[in-house]
Amino acid sequence: MWRMLRSRQTWINALLLVLVLLAATAWSQHHARTAAHFVREVFLPIYVSFLLPIFSLCYASHAVAGERQEQTLGYLLATPLTRPVIYLAKWSAALALVLVWNLGGAAALGRIAGPAGWTCFVRFWPAVLWSSVAYGCLFHLFSVLFRRATVVSLVYALFLETFLGNVPGVIKRVAISYYTQCLVIAGGQDLGLGPAAGRDPALFVPLAGDTAQLVLWCVSGALFAAGMWVFCRREY
Amino acid sequence: MTATAHDTTAPLLEFAGVSKWYGPVIAVNDVTVRLEPGITGLVGPNGAGKSTLIRLLTGQLRPSLGEVRVRGRRAWSAAAKSHIGYCADTDAFYEEMSGQAFVRTVARWHGFTGRELAARTAAALEQVGMADRASRPLASYSKGMRQRIKLAQALVHAPELLVLDEPLNGVDPLGREELVHVFTGLAARGTAVLLSSHILDEMDWLADRVLFLYRGRIIAAGSLPEIRQTLADHPLNIRISVDRPRELAARLLMVETVQAVQLAPGGDLLIQVHRPQECYRALAELICAGGFQVERLSATDVSAEAIFDYLMQTARRL
Repeated sequence: MWRMLRSRQTWINALLLVLVLLAATAWSQHHARTAAHFVREVFLPIYVSFLLPIFSLCYASHAVAGERQEQTLGYLLATPLTRPVIYLAKWSAALALVLVWNLGGAAALGRIAGPAGWTCFVRFWPAVLWSSVAYGCLFHLFSVLFRRATVVSLVYALFLETFLGNVPGVIKRVAISYYTQCLVIAGGQDLGLGPAAGRDPALFVPLAGDTAQLVLWCVSGALFAAGMWVFCRREY
Repeated sequence: MTATAHDTTAPLLEFAGVSKWYGPVIAVNDVTVRLEPGITGLVGPNGAGKSTLIRLLTGQLRPSLGEVRVRGRRAWSAAAKSHIGYCADTDAFYEEMSGQAFVRTVARWHGFTGRELAARTAAALEQVGMADRASRPLASYSKGMRQRIKLAQALVHAPELLVLDEPLNGVDPLGREELVHVFTGLAARGTAVLLSSHILDEMDWLADRVLFLYRGRIIAAGSLPEIRQTLADHPLNIRISVDRPRELAARLLMVETVQAVQLAPGGDLLIQVHRPQECYRALAELICAGGFQVERLSATDVSAEAIFDYLMQTARRL
């Protein structure tokens, strides 16, 4: 975990977070901002759709693929550690960092954005938590499958999550960000929350919060199991 | 204390009808061999299957057919790996660590903790002559020092089988001598050492037996003299420095196992013989009977390189 923390990814994450915090600071200067404004204008479009997957892929996609690229995976595989143990250790280390960055980033964003932002963090941190776990499992699976997992994950995050997560119809249900948005919308109905700004509510069709959470749990479990299965059988 | 108890009754390493292919390409073809204590050289041209063979026995690959077993356990299994120390040919490390931290990390993966972890780490570094320089970052090491650290991590759990892929690459002559001393010392204490090297000269004096690999098959296995004797198509070349070369040459032509005799420019006799053991006996009798003064007698093509060339010629004809 310390190796990952001292990696280039940490600097990239820190830079992105600083930029977003600066943007949030500028946003918070307007007096009439509400929690609903914050969610629609900052939290969903910038944090949930962009930073959350980027923070997650930086560590999770590098966990195994990074060792493959640096040719150090052989040292691990030559020891009596079983493959499930290696996979679990790598996943745990990556997930710990993913959670620290995603929850810490959301907290920092909420704090910077003032009372409206902090209200959102207190209310929506479970959505960040469960989508972080799902992203962590997905990008860790990529890490096991692809040597250039970071590139694959970036393409997935920037294209599929952003694009598919916002298209009309049911196809967006393949994107993790859709379920995160559903959790946020379900948890913020009393704040007057609906689909993000500029999106037709009739086309977004959010799922109930419980259903979205269940889907994220199941997806996380399935992706974790798939990653473990592949890692235990794959020749590197 | 290692995680797995050693089952010393099963063969240390056994390849049983092992084949490995990647799509239509056969990398290892029906290999059956057992490894014995001592130093075994693994020799073959590029693409012969040496790396695949090593990756099979270190459990990084699974055979497409057959089985690789280490002390009775499948090489792929975690239990088998506690018997093996692997020194890869890649120059890859966790660069931000010191040599000591790297070896300690690998020792921890092998299940050592506390005082034993420290003791094992120190002993392995001492064994490769890096005890006094191990606290420096790996990124600052020379190629030779990195090779030594790689060897230390392979030795840290005192494996029964040490697999070395090009271990002397980049090591200076003095360091080479020291490392060879480590290998021979380990072999003398009962460790089986499998050494893959493209420097065939090393095999002449280092390897107790050699496995010659060509196109995924083991085309010869045994000590160099044993393998040389099997090459009936290639008569053994012997050079003799003697006081009366012409007289000895005339007498040698009468010996059945001598195929040809040639007088070299320096006055030495070059003879080609079949069935070397018989010829050596006849030669000894001739020398004693004729009262010849022999200054030097040596076989000129029993080196690993010469045998390798002969084997390649034979294999290409098949």
